[in-house]
Amino acid sequence: MSSSALEAEAPDLVCQLDNVQGMVDALSAVRWKRHQDAVVELSEHGVVLIVEDTGCLQAKVYLQRELFIRYEYNAEGRPRFGVSLGLFVDCLNTFSLPGRSSMIEIQYPGPDMQLLVKSVDSLDACIYAEIRTRIPDTISWDYNFEPAGSTPLTFTVKSAALKEAIDDLEWPGSSIQILLQPVPPCVTFKGEGHGDLQIDFMYYVNTDLLIAFHCDRQVSYRYKYKFLHATTSNLPSSVIKDNRGSKLTIGRGGMLKVQHLVSVAKLATSHPQIDSARHQQPSRIAYIEFFVKPEVDEDTVHNS
Amino acid sequence: MKFKAFLTEHGVSLLERRFLPALDKMGKICHLFLTRDHAIFLHNLLNGDGVQCIAQFRKEALFDDYRISSQNEDRIAFAIDVSLLLRAVRSSVSICTEFGNGPSANRLQIKLVKKLPPNCTQPMPFLTFETKGYKSAVIQDVPISKPLSRAQVLELQTALDIAQDLPQTLVQVPDLNQLQNFVERMKHVGDLLNVSISKYGDLHVQISTTLITLGAEFRKLLVIGEQAEAPSEDRNLSAQSRSERAISRGDAQSVQVSVKHFSRSLQCHLAKPDCAFYGIAPQGACLTVIFQFFIPGTRQTDKSISLHCRLPVLDPG
Repeated sequence: MSSSALEAEAPDLVCQLDNVQGMVDALSAVRWKRHQDAVVELSEHGVVLIVEDTGCLQAKVYLQRELFIRYEYNAEGRPRFGVSLGLFVDCLNTFSLPGRSSMIEIQYPGPDMQLLVKSVDSLDACIYAEIRTRIPDTISWDYNFEPAGSTPLTFTVKSAALKEAIDDLEWPGSSIQILLQPVPPCVTFKGEGHGDLQIDFMYYVNTDLLIAFHCDRQVSYRYKYKFLHATTSNLPSSVIKDNRGSKLTIGRGGMLKVQHLVSVAKLATSHPQIDSARHQQPSRIAYIEFFVKPEVDEDTVHNS
Repeated sequence: MKFKAFLTEHGVSLLERRFLPALDKMGKICHLFLTRDHAIFLHNLLNGDGVQCIAQFRKEALFDDYRISSQNEDRIAFAIDVSLLLRAVRSSVSICTEFGNGPSANRLQIKLVKKLPPNCTQPMPFLTFETKGYKSAVIQDVPISKPLSRAQVLELQTALDIAQDLPQTLVQVPDLNQLQNFVERMKHVGDLLNVSISKYGDLHVQISTTLITLGAEFRKLLVIGEQAEAPSEDRNLSAQSRSERAISRGDAQSVQVSVKHFSRSLQCHLAKPDCAFYGIAPQGACLTVIFQFFIPGTRQTDKSISLHCRLPVLDPG
C-alpha cells in the first residue's frame, strides 16, 4: 500500500481524449509485428511513443497535447516507461465502440506504476484497464536526423500510392533502391531479387501523385525491403480515405525519414459544418515518423 | 418410430432467419429432441465441456399437423448438423418463393425416414424436407445420426431437467450488441474472463493477466430474483473494489469462464431476442444467460419459445 504522502502527489500525467479510434489508428501505424516493446515518453508538449527494430528501423508517434481535450502534466523532466505496443493498442481498441465516439482518461503512473485507462462518458457503464509498464530499455539508437546537404532531398507522395508501390515491391523483395534525380525530376523505386521491378514517380507527369519534389543532385540508397514495408504496412484506412500525403526525406548517410499524418479528429456528428472545420485543424493530427537506415553496400553510388 | 410435421410460415422464418443461424454459431452438431409438445435443439448436453445451449419451441411455434410416435413415450432424439439443416430450410424457402402459388400451395413437410443411400448396404436415417412447387416437388435429405437409445434419451432428458435450474439473481444486459463488440475486442487481451453479478444490479466482467487488467462494469441493471439495495458507501469506489466488497458481503457471486465461450453465447443475439439476462447458478455451477422473446407487438413474454445457454465455469469463484 502506498503511503498517504505518495497518494497526495499528483500523477505525472492525466489526460482525456475524445477519439480513441484516432489514437488506435496512429499507434497501429507503427505496429509491424506481433511482439513489439515500445517506449513512451511524456512531456509538457505531449506523448511520444517509440518503437524500433534491430537498430535499423525506428518509428515515433507524436501525440501532441492539442489532441487531448484535457492534458495535465505534473512531472519534472521527461518520464519514460516501457509497454507492450500490441497490448496497449488491443486494450485501447476495446474502448472504441463502432458508431460511438468514446471519451477516455489516461493516467500515469498508477499506484503500482501501471498505465491506467478508463472510459469517462457514461455513469452506469465503465470500461477500465491497468497495463503493467516496464523500466524502459535505453534506446540504443536515438537518432538525430540531419539533412544531407544545404538543400533537403525530399519528396511528398500520396500515401495510398506509396503504400501500393511498396506492396508491389514485395515480389522482387530483398533490398530496394530509392533513386532521386533532378533532371528529369523523378523518384525511382527499384527492386532486384527474384526478378526486377522498377516504379517511377515522374514529378511533371503526375503532380497528383508526387505532390512535392526537392532534389538538386542525384542520390541513390538501398534499404531492406522488410524495413521499408514496415513504414506503410499498417497505414490506417483513414489516411487513405483522407487522401493524405506522406513525406520522404533522405538525410546524411542515406538515412530515410518517412512521415505520415493520421487524423485524430472527433467522429462526424450532427454538425457536419463544425466538424469539417475541425477536420482542417492541424492540431487534430498525429504525426508518425519512421527512420530507416540504408544498407551498407560497397557498390551503391551515393552521389554522382 | 415416426415423425412427420408441416413447418408453418412463421416456423420457417423463425428457424431460417433467427434460430438456425444462431445455433450454427454454437457448434456444428446439435441434438434435436422431439417430444409430444416440444421440439428442442440442444448443444453439448451429453458430451463435452463446451457451452450448453438449449432452444425450446412448443410445437405450435413451428409446426402444424405435428405427428410423433415412438415406443419411448413418443420421444425421439438424434444428432444433426446445424449448417446442413439451415441449408435445407433455406433452399426450401427459395423454392417456395420462386414457384409458390399462394400460402397453402407450398407447405414444407419434414419427416423422419430411412433410406438406402447409393453405394451403401445399410439403410441410413434422414430428416427429409419436401417442398411442393408449382409443377414439381423438391426433396432434400439431411443425414442424421441413428436415433438415440432409450437410455440416451433418458440421459438427455435428465441433463435437460438439470439445465432448467434458474440462478437466484439475474441481471438484464442493456445492450447486447455493445457487450458483444466489447468482448470481441477483449478476446485479444486474454483467455479467461471473470464475471461477477451482484444483487444490486451490477455486472462486472474482467480479464486479468500478469501484464494487463481490462474490465467493464455495467451498473443499475434490472434485477430479477434476489435483489438488494446498493450500499451508498460503495458509490465512489473503483469497479474492482466495489465487486470485491459485494462478494465479501455475500451480495454478489463471481465465476471464471472462457472468453471464447462468453463471446459464443453472445452470438445468440442472431436469434433476435428482445432481452437477455445473465446469472450465476447456485454454488457457482455455471454462468447462465437467458434470452427472452416477446409476443410480436407486445412486451409480453412469448412462452412458446425459450433460449438459454450455460457456460462451464473454469474456476468456481
